[in-house]
Amino acid sequence: MIAEAGHYALVLALALALIQSTVPMIGARLRDPVLMNVARSTALAQLLFVGLSFGALVLLHVISDFSVANVYENSHSLKPLIYKITGVWGNHEGSMLLWVSILALFGGLVALFGNNLPLSLRANALGVQGWVSTAFYLFILLTSNPFLRLVNPPLEGRDLNPVLQDPGLAIHPPMLYLGYVGFSISFSFAIAALIEGRIDAAWARWVRPWTLMAWMFLTLGIAMGSYWAYYELGWGGWWFWDPVENASLMPWLAGTALLHSAVVMEKRNALKVWTVLLAILTFSLSLLGTFLVRSGVLTSVHAFATDPTRGVFILLILCVFIGGSLSLYAWRASSLKQGGLFAPISREGALVLNNLLLTTACATVFIGTLYPLGLEVLTGERISVGAPFFNLTFAPLFVPLLLALPFGPLLAWKRGDIAGAAQRLYAAGIVALVSIAVLWAWVRGGSAFAPLAIGLAVFVIIGALTDIAERSMLFRMPLSIALRRARGLPRASWGTMFAHVGVGVALIGIVCETTWNTELISTLKPGDVAKVAGYELKLDDISQRQGPNFGEMLAHFTVSEGGKMIGVMTPSKRSFSTRAMSTTEAALMSRGVSQLYISLGDTAASGAIAVRIYHKPMVLLIWFGPLLMAFGGLLSLSDRRLRVGAPKPAKASRSLQPAE
Amino acid sequence: MSLWFLLALMTVGAIFAVLWPLSRRTDVKREGRESAVYQDQLAEIDRDIANGLIGETEGAAARVEISRRLLAAADAEEGSTVSSRLRLRRAVAMVALIGVPVLAGALYLHLGSPALPDFPLTSRARAPVPGQSLDQLVAQVQTHLEKNPTDGRGWSVLAPVLGRLGRFDDAAQAFRNAIRYDGDNAARRAGLGEALAGAANGVVTAEAKAEFERAVALDADEPKARYFLGVAAEQDGRPKEAAALWQDMLSKAPPDAPWRPVLEAALARVGAAVPAPSDSASAKIPALSNDTIASVQGMSEGDRGAMIRGMVDRLAARLKQNGDDVEGWLRLARAYMVLKEPDNARAARDDARRALAANEDGLRKLNEGLKALGIDG
Amino acid sequence: MTRKQRRLTMIGGALVVLGIAIALVLNALRDSIVFFSTPQMVAEKHIPAGKRFRLGGLVEPGSLVRGDHMAVTFKIADGSNALSVAYKGILPDLFREGQGVVAEGALDSSGVFKADTVLAKHDETYMPKDVADALKKQGHWKDDYEKAGKKPDGDAKPMQGASR
Repeated sequence: MIAEAGHYALVLALALALIQSTVPMIGARLRDPVLMNVARSTALAQLLFVGLSFGALVLLHVISDFSVANVYENSHSLKPLIYKITGVWGNHEGSMLLWVSILALFGGLVALFGNNLPLSLRANALGVQGWVSTAFYLFILLTSNPFLRLVNPPLEGRDLNPVLQDPGLAIHPPMLYLGYVGFSISFSFAIAALIEGRIDAAWARWVRPWTLMAWMFLTLGIAMGSYWAYYELGWGGWWFWDPVENASLMPWLAGTALLHSAVVMEKRNALKVWTVLLAILTFSLSLLGTFLVRSGVLTSVHAFATDPTRGVFILLILCVFIGGSLSLYAWRASSLKQGGLFAPISREGALVLNNLLLTTACATVFIGTLYPLGLEVLTGERISVGAPFFNLTFAPLFVPLLLALPFGPLLAWKRGDIAGAAQRLYAAGIVALVSIAVLWAWVRGGSAFAPLAIGLAVFVIIGALTDIAERSMLFRMPLSIALRRARGLPRASWGTMFAHVGVGVALIGIVCETTWNTELISTLKPGDVAKVAGYELKLDDISQRQGPNFGEMLAHFTVSEGGKMIGVMTPSKRSFSTRAMSTTEAALMSRGVSQLYISLGDTAASGAIAVRIYHKPMVLLIWFGPLLMAFGGLLSLSDRRLRVGAPKPAKASRSLQPAE
Repeated sequence: MSLWFLLALMTVGAIFAVLWPLSRRTDVKREGRESAVYQDQLAEIDRDIANGLIGETEGAAARVEISRRLLAAADAEEGSTVSSRLRLRRAVAMVALIGVPVLAGALYLHLGSPALPDFPLTSRARAPVPGQSLDQLVAQVQTHLEKNPTDGRGWSVLAPVLGRLGRFDDAAQAFRNAIRYDGDNAARRAGLGEALAGAANGVVTAEAKAEFERAVALDADEPKARYFLGVAAEQDGRPKEAAALWQDMLSKAPPDAPWRPVLEAALARVGAAVPAPSDSASAKIPALSNDTIASVQGMSEGDRGAMIRGMVDRLAARLKQNGDDVEGWLRLARAYMVLKEPDNARAARDDARRALAANEDGLRKLNEGLKALGIDG
Repeated sequence: MTRKQRRLTMIGGALVVLGIAIALVLNALRDSIVFFSTPQMVAEKHIPAGKRFRLGGLVEPGSLVRGDHMAVTFKIADGSNALSVAYKGILPDLFREGQGVVAEGALDSSGVFKADTVLAKHDETYMPKDVADALKKQGHWKDDYEKAGKKPDGDAKPMQGASR
């Protein structure tokens, strides 16, 4: 009954989505408020039913009902409970259901908290949201239905894949999806604006919190996926320019650009046409990302479903949504009025430069990811575009972006004073130059670019701090006043600072890790000592242990620095008896923000064991950076300005009347 | 609460979600407006000026700009009209009342299986399903072994079964575990080798050969290992060596050894003479085991066909005379499936059902086996 | 500055950035693309020593030899040809004889493929797409691989790699 009820709830959600995608839009066209309001209740009911459906699937996985094909294929009664639950989205069908559930969640949130939106904009946006939902419900029900049943239920499920039982893998996809799907809201708003033929500064303010939320989740999702790859795959890499990773990076780049251009639009009513285009592109890239991963069309180190009917359906959805929205854009964009003017050197100009560089970087990733696919279709020749391509194109585009970054917030709107901004950045520039000089003198080895890159990162960080210091008049006013002023600054300013500092922090981590990473691969016998980056690692012994469903070989290392013992590390290798499979469990030891990393290889006949030992300086900064960025996003999101006119508009607007 | 009641309840909920807003009046004045945003922006400018974040002149310019937007927005809001389309609303209500249940019901009945009961793990553990297929039994044993990976006896029981099911990789692992936890012996080593060879599509790999050699070291007369060592020699291009080995085996073999025909066929394949049997070996029909079929997979296409054909014909003939042998029928059907002759397999199935009509137990077993072969129709 | 001049400045700036980006992409595409080959393609086309490419196929059973200091050699075969591969380092967990791998590196002067990266498939049900396509083309496609692609596997990173 659970399975059937869940299945039916999904069908009902489709029916509601169909109503949601037509009735409110007709209502908006005819200006009938009652019809427009249908959008709200259907969006909420849709959320309820798809939530029921997803809950049912989770429950089926938890109670191991193998009469459901999806549970039989992707679960096993012996899995720990947590992995039974996370296994729900570890497979194609379940992950698509999660995808629409999140879509419905965002729709429901707009319905609930969209009181500050004009009725017709909300109706149209939810209507567009309904189209997207409809397409996905059909896709799920017709090609990837998780509720299909088996007449003769088997006794045991098929999947107990040990590699997939990992907490990082469990949270990473929902995070990514929250990001991908969150951009559907800005997409819906953009399409709604195009349909209404009217777009204003207010639009940007309404869209910004949703974009910000999606961007935060995507940032966290990408960082988490990267950390998972780092510790789980056992060879210490954290970014592979793999198509699947690129698929999540592209919407992030476009979304970051969107976030910045929406600011210009909100403040200055400019860049309207461009912002709408970015909103469409960001969600299109999200769709592409979802499907590149799901359809397995890419030559990737990822294995995924390949199924012709699914593939065709996917292509159809992509064509309809991306093609359709871009056509609508081409048709209607000219009817949007141009807005405010600004000089090339101004806050707007800086943000335009930011947009230009981010979207260009996004385009190069796009080319690198899809070029092999296109070439194979056209010529049959197979190539792979690897990390060197991206390093050669992506990095040079990011350098000017980062150089310009500290200037942006210091420039005034409309017409900025670059000399003044530069003057205020003197301190930052000097600190950056000093750190370059110190690094050059101090550090041996590695690329000559590394100190320069770190200097750039320092410039970005100090520059971001300078902005806050300037605004609070630190050093120019007594400390107590400056502190009070700092508290009084809009949270969005603080958010900007944290996000920009996060960029610099991540850059330091990336540069240090890639430049001064020490690696030692060797075979050790118990008693042997390996020396890496000033640490001595002594292999004490190798022992065997029996886990719940695996045998484990543990290597015990004592780590000492300068003769003093600082800890033990126990990397291991697990072999799963029932399925002739083994996994490597790397051992990590953090020293500040640097890490030691050991992973095991094969044992030789002599009893020696192959090990890989890495010393990764500053590696943790790579993930602290995105955490800071997401925290900055959270601060901005909490800024009161983004909640203007929320629940009680009548009262609020009166009190906000300017005293003139 | 029956399923249908629940589904009906959900349908009512969905319809209600559409009807509810249709039945209510909407106060447009209370909805969000653009002007609210601009008013807030003006207030923000004032705050910024008060805090000294922007200068007075800049603030004044910004205020003018925002005020212009505010005026435009207010004008647009004034000009917006509201209409009420009662007929359209009624039409929407009808669509909700009729369209939602019809669409949802039709699609669900097409896709869903409302007749199937739930089958959660807990209820399954209490009531074992009668007539479990071999696959399910294997799954149960595997479950047991996941929990008790050191149960060597369990592994040694499971291993050959897995091999017979064609799950060679699993079988090899099971044999290894059996050897680790339940002791080493020639039969297990030979079984491991066979599973490895099976996994390599019948090719006796170096790894498999090593296992056979170990088996022979443990028991010089282990027939399976010796046979496969012959196959290895043959695959390495030394048919003479293979033939000598097999001839030696045959000459020592007891007359009723089930593997005799396999060896004879193998010898025929390499073109060597078959030593005269000490007794009429064909008196007893050999088992056409899966092992044999698996081992035959390494041969060339023609040889393999001829060999299997001969054995299958013999089996068919015997079953025609004495039909009361479920295993025999299944073997025959399986052999036909392997030979890609589903029509013959189906004919054998019908013959078998006829021959076993009086034997209820046998018939059940037969049907199960046929199901596993996918010809239970 | 007039409105027109402003617009021209912006457009000019955008064109400069785009031009630089295109130059970067073209330059990178020329230098950093790696072609995929199977042993048969290597045998047919003459690939100069030192040119990097990816080699895909099945690890020939029985060909794996472990030497000193973690040096390993094995053969990658595609049914018609086989090519010796030398690698130094730790092989991925999932590396097994008889299974699909992709190695990246270059031929040395004696015709041995010196790999610096070895990628192995995740489990029995997956084979690198490159390898599967190549084998399919040559008619060495076996049913077990066919099933392979059909198993959805979540957002895992089922390939494992090792590189020096």
